[in-house]
Amino acid sequence: MNEIELPMGLDEFGAYFKERLGEQILNFKKEKIEKGVDKNEIKFIWMTVEKEAFREAVRAIAEIQIPHLSVASGSDKGEFVELIYHFEVNFSYPGEETTINLKVHLSKDDLTIPTITDIIPGALTTEREKQEFLGIDVIDIPDDRRLWLDENYPEDRYPWRWDEKGMEDMSRHIHENEETLEEPVAERSKKEGGD
Amino acid sequence: MDEKDGEETTYEVPIGPIHPALKEPFLIKFKLDGEEIVDADPHPGMNHRGIEFMGMHRNPVKVIPLSERICGICSIVHQHMYTTAVEHAVDIVPTNRARYIRTIMMELERIHSHVLWAGVAAHEIGFDTHLHFTWKIREKVMDLLEKISGNRVNYSMWTFGGVRRDITEDMHPDIDETLDYYLDLYDKLEDIFLGDPSIRHRTKNIGILTEEDAMKLCGVGPTVRASGVKKDVRIDQPYAAYGDLDIDYVIPSRYDYEDVGDVFSKTLVRLKEVVQSINIIRQCVEKMPEGEITSEPNMAALLNKLKSAEGEGVGRIEAPRGEAMHYVRLVEDNEDVDCWKVRASTYNNLATYAPMFLGEQIADIPIIAASIDPCIGCMDRAEIVDVNTGEKEEYTDEELHELSVQKTERMLGGIDE
Repeated sequence: MNEIELPMGLDEFGAYFKERLGEQILNFKKEKIEKGVDKNEIKFIWMTVEKEAFREAVRAIAEIQIPHLSVASGSDKGEFVELIYHFEVNFSYPGEETTINLKVHLSKDDLTIPTITDIIPGALTTEREKQEFLGIDVIDIPDDRRLWLDENYPEDRYPWRWDEKGMEDMSRHIHENEETLEEPVAERSKKEGGD
Repeated sequence: MDEKDGEETTYEVPIGPIHPALKEPFLIKFKLDGEEIVDADPHPGMNHRGIEFMGMHRNPVKVIPLSERICGICSIVHQHMYTTAVEHAVDIVPTNRARYIRTIMMELERIHSHVLWAGVAAHEIGFDTHLHFTWKIREKVMDLLEKISGNRVNYSMWTFGGVRRDITEDMHPDIDETLDYYLDLYDKLEDIFLGDPSIRHRTKNIGILTEEDAMKLCGVGPTVRASGVKKDVRIDQPYAAYGDLDIDYVIPSRYDYEDVGDVFSKTLVRLKEVVQSINIIRQCVEKMPEGEITSEPNMAALLNKLKSAEGEGVGRIEAPRGEAMHYVRLVEDNEDVDCWKVRASTYNNLATYAPMFLGEQIADIPIIAASIDPCIGCMDRAEIVDVNTGEKEEYTDEELHELSVQKTERMLGGIDE
């Protein structure tokens, strides 16, 4: 592979990822927005990849520069759960930093994603968060304890899910929190059948 | 607990999480071998309010004041990230004048945050006079923020496409006076925090974060710049008006210090950033263009537009504590915000705790914990459990603080000799 020269331009990124991932890129979008009176541009890449190619894509990003993983966002989109890993590369070069938003779709029958903590150790916090908030399984995660949610929070409910595993019905009873400890609100909502 | 030849070698020490006066309760569990820390395991989430869930049940305009209430000290930070993420998603362009006003406000907040932090750091090692000194001088910038926005905290300045209040010519003398006030005091601050031998003893080579760890663990802000990592969103990916300004990475080697990554370097970086902020505000006041303060003055029309808008956007910022970001997605058939992810600076810096605490002493816990400028005020309560006998020994916050103060006094005794 050719030596990578930093900073990379948006077109170079396009060519680089095409060479590394080929057909496994489902969608690729370059974006520039102007900031400041002098109209300097800030750069974004939005890239959707096949789930099978996810780790390869992260490895490709990690070979450019030790990347900064800002965070992984995630949301329930009905048929599938969408994860977006926001990486930053080209930092330390004034005005060149590029945000690579790497998207991967997980179907509801197989909500698993391999861990990337072996490539980027700093990813652990966000992977733990995705497990408890979206109900996905991060395979081989070094530490799978809960991070933010209280231990009284039910095991099979996830705050960012909009289907039957979400907490929409529970949130109506949130003010009755003393009883919550005795009987999980999720159970009670089922009995009442919602309102 | 680990065991060697039937004798226990380590103790587990939880520190935190509850104190009614804290803005964010927090718990760290330490493993100790005598006085030495062998493992640190942070447990956040004691005050998780589900603010993202709340945001996803409100329309985009209602989320602006909500985002501002994520944090008291960096309320501008979250407001800015949320509004820029929405602006990115639906292609709203803020006016040039608004970009400069936003920059001035963000830098005033940085001065506020760093001066406040210096006081907390001094308190943790037993210098309460310095705490009262820094918190006294912090009032000046809060007064200026109040003069501009009407509020000391939660400024309610941001709106889509710009800001809600102007910085007019008649405010310039006040701004100038405040900046001069801090510039005059800077030498004194530097003398206290960088020159004082007892403070140097408590901060030099304590809580070291190496450059390699800083990069691998995706740390942000002054915490990693102190280790020599050149990461600063204001320069790397300039937002607001930063692209027009003359600004450079604040790392210790720029000022003839070594990029050690200890508590001393972190203090140095934060103090130098106060001067940098003063410089940036001066440039902004000088270059501020004329024009409207917002490109979307009609809120009703804007709300209608946003309710049926489609798009996704990212808002990033260099907060006083380091890089932070928001991700927002709006969809056509949902008039509420469809997806909102908030990531604050301390979230990423959490991982940097483990290498910083390793090998340090129990009396250094307060200052190292404070060195990343976490969104927690102080340590509440520590508990030492002897796992062999099951006996518990409790440390209150005062006792833990006392241990830290005693260490300073011991060191001071050493210096006198």
